[in-house]
Amino acid sequence: MRIFKDFHYNFLDKRKIAYVLSATLFVVGIVSALVRGFEFGIDFKGGTEIVLQFEKPVDISVVRADVENIGLGNVEVKTFGGESGVMIRTEQQIIPPDIFPKVVESIEKEIDKKFPGVPRKIVDSTANSITYEFPSHDTTDAIIDALFEAGFQSGRVSEEQDNRQMIVRVGIADWIKINLSNKIADNHFTVLKEDRVGPKIGKELKQDAVLAIFFALVVILIYLGFRFKFIFAVGAVSALFHDVLITLGLFSLLYGVIPGLNLEIDLTVVAAFLTLVGYSINDTVIVFDRIRENMKIHKTRPIREVIDTSISQTMSRTVLTGGTTLLTVLALLIFGGEVLRAFAFTLFFGIIIGTYSSIFVASALVYEYSQKAGKKLEF
Amino acid sequence: MKEFRFRIILVFAIIFLAVYMLYPTYVDYQNSKKIEKVLEQRKQEILKSNPNITKSQLDNLLKVVEDSLLSANPDFQKNREKRIKLGLDLQGGMRVVLEVNTAQLLAKLAKNPDSAFKDALKSAEQEATLSDESVVDILGRKLKEKGIRLSRYFGSIRQEDDEIISDLKEDVEDAVTRALEIIRNRIDQYGVSEPTIQRQGSRRIIVELPGIAREEEAKQLLQGTALLEFRLVKEPDFAFDVMRKIDEALAKSLSKISTDTSTASDTLSAVSDTTAVSDTLAPEQLTEEEFAKQHPFFTVARISEQQRTADAYVREDDINKIQMYLNRPEVQKVIPNNVEFVFSAKPVGQDADGKNVYLMYLVNKEPELTGGVITDAQANIDPNTSSPIVNMTMNTEGATDWARITGANIGKRIAIMLDGRVFSAPVVQTKITGGRSQISGMANLDEAKLLEIVLKAGALPAPVDIIEERSVGPSLGEDSVNSGFQSVLIGYFLVGFFMIIYYQRAGTISSFTLIITILFILGVLAGFKATLTLPGIAGIILTIGMAVDANVLIFERIREELATGKTVKASIDSGFAKAYSAIIDSNITTFFTGIILYQFGTGPIQGFALTLMIGIAASLFSALVITRLIMDVMVARGVKVTIG
Repeated sequence: MRIFKDFHYNFLDKRKIAYVLSATLFVVGIVSALVRGFEFGIDFKGGTEIVLQFEKPVDISVVRADVENIGLGNVEVKTFGGESGVMIRTEQQIIPPDIFPKVVESIEKEIDKKFPGVPRKIVDSTANSITYEFPSHDTTDAIIDALFEAGFQSGRVSEEQDNRQMIVRVGIADWIKINLSNKIADNHFTVLKEDRVGPKIGKELKQDAVLAIFFALVVILIYLGFRFKFIFAVGAVSALFHDVLITLGLFSLLYGVIPGLNLEIDLTVVAAFLTLVGYSINDTVIVFDRIRENMKIHKTRPIREVIDTSISQTMSRTVLTGGTTLLTVLALLIFGGEVLRAFAFTLFFGIIIGTYSSIFVASALVYEYSQKAGKKLEF
Repeated sequence: MKEFRFRIILVFAIIFLAVYMLYPTYVDYQNSKKIEKVLEQRKQEILKSNPNITKSQLDNLLKVVEDSLLSANPDFQKNREKRIKLGLDLQGGMRVVLEVNTAQLLAKLAKNPDSAFKDALKSAEQEATLSDESVVDILGRKLKEKGIRLSRYFGSIRQEDDEIISDLKEDVEDAVTRALEIIRNRIDQYGVSEPTIQRQGSRRIIVELPGIAREEEAKQLLQGTALLEFRLVKEPDFAFDVMRKIDEALAKSLSKISTDTSTASDTLSAVSDTTAVSDTLAPEQLTEEEFAKQHPFFTVARISEQQRTADAYVREDDINKIQMYLNRPEVQKVIPNNVEFVFSAKPVGQDADGKNVYLMYLVNKEPELTGGVITDAQANIDPNTSSPIVNMTMNTEGATDWARITGANIGKRIAIMLDGRVFSAPVVQTKITGGRSQISGMANLDEAKLLEIVLKAGALPAPVDIIEERSVGPSLGEDSVNSGFQSVLIGYFLVGFFMIIYYQRAGTISSFTLIITILFILGVLAGFKATLTLPGIAGIILTIGMAVDANVLIFERIREELATGKTVKASIDSGFAKAYSAIIDSNITTFFTGIILYQFGTGPIQGFALTLMIGIAASLFSALVITRLIMDVMVARGVKVTIG
């Protein structure tokens, strides 16, 4: 079987159409990025995120209503995976001061449930913890256990024998869980995932991600400049910029549009972008390798013909490899589960755009340069 | 065939190596299934006999059962250590990034902090959350703006600001070391398997705890303040007497229960039969089994007659079991209420099987002194004896108590304990007045340094904040593994099927080598003890798609060569030769991005970068060596190589 037998096509004739297409995608992406922006995941934004798996399917609007009035301000509630999974996210790191009394109230309620009216003293209270003192060591231990069972992070202040103090730490996630388990009592849940990322870490990760992609491009520029001609390296890296920016634009355009597809930019998506860079450069190099070879063999042929012939000769390989990789990524997109969906999506579109760009952007740029420079490229 | 001999041997050797590396993973998978079955059975039994048991108690019981099963069969453990390690996102667990709270530390270090200092510190702390500058630098700047010299709060009067700042930065680094040691000590006690505790940069600690079921407890573990105590070690005669009584009580009650099969404790006694027995205490006529039955306690807590102390040697796997024994009511009855058994923080040696052995001490429950009185500790080399020592200084209040304590206990031992574990138990040589003590007897300077850190931990807490925490429940991890491998299979069949249709025999060869590629990736992961993460599985799937690239390039070239009218053999030769440069150039660039990804990424992402890189190497080997070899052999044997 053979798809492209003796295939020849004058790709460079159509490059103007490709420029228009790329420019359009570009502009649409940039406008969308300016207007809609991006949805960053918790990795970059910082905040608290929990994913709960209920025993039975749960009405997302009920969960949303329950979570909204516990005083955490803007809380995002989404389905995760199937109908019984819920993701709850807030940008808060610690319990806001104005609802802290509510937290204290519910701690007191638990204490009274265990030992009604036991004498207690609050000895310390910080932004995310509160410290109690009780009359005896044993009472303290019993209360610590009771609160722990209720979902609070309670613990002894010291391991000394006469310790009578209990510290309760209350994080956002704990507060959400405690409230939900009280409100939705007939449908138990387990915690699938719980993440908290500080704002500083988010900022650092963002910097790292940008740096990583930048470094990857520089390294590729140097390597290709070394192996081919510098203009080839420039063409290839421009094509990579093209791929990354258009795929990013797609992220901005499509997040929240397709149900079940969570297009948030998180660490895994950055990994996908770097893989896309790796894959797309792969494609471009194969074409360039052919151009280099053909230029060595046919020293007198015009560059336009050489490029068209080379793209045509490698077309079969380009489509086949692109096709098999797309097949596997498609398997990942459909069967890979919720966590890898955005990753698979990035690669899926990235591979299509990467294949297109290695034909119409990278090679076309090399051609434009050779026209402008007016001298012949030689290997 | 002679010409291929070397290559055939090479290929088979590498395939064999990969299978050899993966075999323990397979065995461990089978073993886990067995263990799970036993645990489930036990769980039902325990729940039947004791329906009111709390979840944490149940977990503890099951953990002991699991430990016993593992230690009863050394093969289980051996395979478990050699299997492919799964990342936190696949097996569940938590990852926490801690950062030393510099502001809190500075507040503690400052002498006579006044309101001006507190204000400056507060604004420095706020500013630090937004900038990359350290709190120490910002504080120095703020105070300078106010015209206050740092020496007013830190260091000595004559020191310049710059000097104090660099000292304070060192203090911050010290605090990280201390926090690291405190955390390591606690995690060791908590019994997490395969924890990772590493330092990141100058102020951060990354802790990874796989398979943690009770994450709240783990968080508590990481953040609580450390407790340093000095407790008196009981005299050998007294301690031995207590242990003998425990042994008798246990022997009596265990033999009673052994007829009743429904209790959980029976599992323990049954399992303890299989553990090795110390020979020192056993009278010769007893077989190991009989000894274990008659002396259940001395079977796990071994004491030799030659030693002058009554510190028992306990194997790592037996610590849980001893704790279970000690919690039994009949055992509690024979232990005086003012004493308790504690363990050494670090192993003191290894037994014949290479298992870590810890010391168990009997100490007073009431500490003689707690760590708050220590003002400084320094590890040093004694210039006279050139052996490592630790100098410890106490404040006046502590010094008075210390003089009384040491004076009353000359010749006895005092255990230095951090969070309930013994780090050292030196003998009191003389009454120490003035609060300056010297501890000697450490094996090397590292041990002395550790003691220094421990002593300082009591004096100067290392306040840490959790700045990032991620936890994955075991069920999500399991789902991820399943859906990941499902996609691997589906991806493989799609690609393999396509290759066979499109390239016929040559395609069949590449589908076959694809299996070997996957085998290589997994084998290398297992061999280098690398971690497989969910993005790592994605990396394998992607490799399947991209691995055929090299094959496609080669086959397309061979087709072109055949079209020019060359023979099959010549076409294969020049096809491979011509595809070579394209394959190498394109894969090296992808490999570069893999390296960058590995450098920048954390945890799961690194796992992806790793499988991607191994995948590239493996698929190149498969395409350039194995596929080539198979085709060459086929041509040499006159088998027709169809290529579509």
